[in-house]
Amino acid sequence: MAAKAKRPDVLAASADLRKRTLPHTSGSLDRMIYVASMRDYNTGLYVHQGLAARFSPEAASEALADCHWECFQELVSLELKDLTEQLDLYMRATGSAPHDFLRAWKDLEPYRVAVPVGTDSLMAQFLFSNLKIALAILEHQTLRVPEPAPVA
Amino acid sequence: MMQLVIFLALAVGLLVLLLMAMRRQPSHAAGSAGELVTAKKTLESLQLGLLPAELVDQIFGERDLAYVAAIGSNEIRSLFLSERKRLALTWIRQVRKQVRALKDFHVSRSRMFTQMSRWRELSLALDFGGLEARCRVLQLLLLWRGAYAAPDFARRTAATAGRVCSTLDQSLAFLTPSIPVSLASESDADGSMV
Repeated sequence: MAAKAKRPDVLAASADLRKRTLPHTSGSLDRMIYVASMRDYNTGLYVHQGLAARFSPEAASEALADCHWECFQELVSLELKDLTEQLDLYMRATGSAPHDFLRAWKDLEPYRVAVPVGTDSLMAQFLFSNLKIALAILEHQTLRVPEPAPVA
Repeated sequence: MMQLVIFLALAVGLLVLLLMAMRRQPSHAAGSAGELVTAKKTLESLQLGLLPAELVDQIFGERDLAYVAAIGSNEIRSLFLSERKRLALTWIRQVRKQVRALKDFHVSRSRMFTQMSRWRELSLALDFGGLEARCRVLQLLLLWRGAYAAPDFARRTAATAGRVCSTLDQSLAFLTPSIPVSLASESDADGSMV
């Protein structure tokens, strides 16, 4: 499919996003969750005050949408082993206790609302399915690792 | 007397033809724009969404299975196998549905736009028939034995579907606007395309 020509301000906003904001994320999953959190559920538009101030709200929204799509594509193309590593990285980056994180992700499945709009349903199902298995693997590994013994 | 019988037979024949014509569903104009665009989208969805080798490899490839097996948990292994079976079945159902839609479109509309030789029509009909049979067999295998029942068969089925799509793509080529080279090469100073 031919790539749609992008407006120069959208390209500049994308470059700015990649240079200033995204390097602080720990991986593709972290990036996708981060970008998805900037999407307004009522309008589907992405809101980033800093980026909108430097460029325009429209350019910022389109740049974030592109970035969201790229993160999703990256995640879908990962092997299960790499996706499990990404999930582990993300879990550590949140600072939550592993048990709490795993329980919340298994019960709430927050990743279901974190995919870009217009995603092919099979692709989305593929990612959800892999994340479900990755969660089971992390849970297995977390339960297997014994708690460190308290120092006397 | 004989003339009257012939006349009545002709009248009854015409009446039957008239009734048959009235019973037919009103059809859209041949090759209406909506149908053409839907067919093109179906074709693209197959070629770009369902049939790429990377996707087929991700669903049917055995690297993830090896990784899960190395973990050594039966619970995770069975979860993985059931998830992959579900995905594989979704994939083959979608491929079948899209292929059927394309076949119906080709039979009812596309042939009006494209001059195909009889040999090519026959070849395409055989391809469609073969593909439908392959999809059905694969679906049964997946149902029976799971996603890793016949990975090579799945890859070959995807390749066959890809071939049929390429043939149909040619018959819908008139829907893809071609940009003249002279126009496409012209750009503004800022690099934006004309």
